[in-house]
Amino acid sequence: MGVAAVAAMDYDAELMLRVKAGDGISFGVLLEKHRASVVHFLYRVVQEQGVAEELAQEVFLRVYRARASYEPTATFKTWLFRIAAHLALNWLRDEKHQRDQERLDDVLADLPGRQITDGRLSVEQKLVRHVGVQEVRRAVALLPEKQRVAVLMHKYEEMGYSEIANALGCSESAVKSMLYRAYRLLRAHLAHMRTT
Amino acid sequence: MNCPIADHNPELLLAYAAGRLDLTTTGALEQHLAGCAACRSVAAGQIAVWKALDAWEAPAVSPDFDRRLYRRIEQEGPLSWWDRLARPFRAMPLRQALPLTASAGLLLMAGLILHRDSGPITPVAPHREIVRAKQVERTLDDLDLLRQFGASGSAEGVHRDAL
Repeated sequence: MGVAAVAAMDYDAELMLRVKAGDGISFGVLLEKHRASVVHFLYRVVQEQGVAEELAQEVFLRVYRARASYEPTATFKTWLFRIAAHLALNWLRDEKHQRDQERLDDVLADLPGRQITDGRLSVEQKLVRHVGVQEVRRAVALLPEKQRVAVLMHKYEEMGYSEIANALGCSESAVKSMLYRAYRLLRAHLAHMRTT
Repeated sequence: MNCPIADHNPELLLAYAAGRLDLTTTGALEQHLAGCAACRSVAAGQIAVWKALDAWEAPAVSPDFDRRLYRRIEQEGPLSWWDRLARPFRAMPLRQALPLTASAGLLLMAGLILHRDSGPITPVAPHREIVRAKQVERTLDDLDLLRQFGASGSAEGVHRDAL
């Protein structure tokens, strides 16, 4: 897709071109629009809120730093998530995380109940749901890193195969196969939840 | 499995579970599911995974997120003079940028040489002289780098033509 074509169909790319021209307000608009999705995406990848916010800060800082050389060769969202995925994958590969991974069970056991937001649920239902969320987090954490990132982009960001491929720097067929394997693993890990 | 969908188009089942298929395709797939136990099992499992993932909410973003970000941006400071100088060239293709950058570099050097040779020597603050020498050095380095890029770019071109 050509630069002009992307800029014409992607309003965010147009905003980023304004940032490139020195318009700070447009940067604020982009931050407002994508802040939550970037932080949430990173949270689900690394499963630690503090780390997710630090990484998200770095994502937006990199966007700001790259404004002078920005060219809309892909949609802004794809570019943004390419940066986010890159940082998240680097973090996951970090030695520090390997130590954290060993503590994963302890962390999951001490999860706060903030995921439960429906006040109409009974205590028993809340407990079931809480346990369910823990199972989901554990199943996602068990996925290989790139599969995890691909699934989270596909599920929560509703990104298509070509967008994910662009963000992860691989082919569309590689993404299809990655997602197929990831969902097969999730179906196996969460099979017992089908009856609940 | 001997099923055209499960064997060759499993992403159709993923899209179905996600509710991302149009009505016509959904109808056709549901007809297939009625007669294919393998696909039915995959679809049911995938719907369960989808629902489980739906239940996983992410915590709210800290209220001071933007403040922290803008503070970091402020600490970055404004663009350096070199960044500002190079900015118009960055958007250009290398073939256009190379001669322009080379011309700009030559003009800068010629200006410096002429300035040194012409008229009586006027005292110049030593720190300004150091800055100029550094600027010339940096320009020469960048020209060198661009020349190297140019050489590799044309080599790529030859390689592409050969294909």
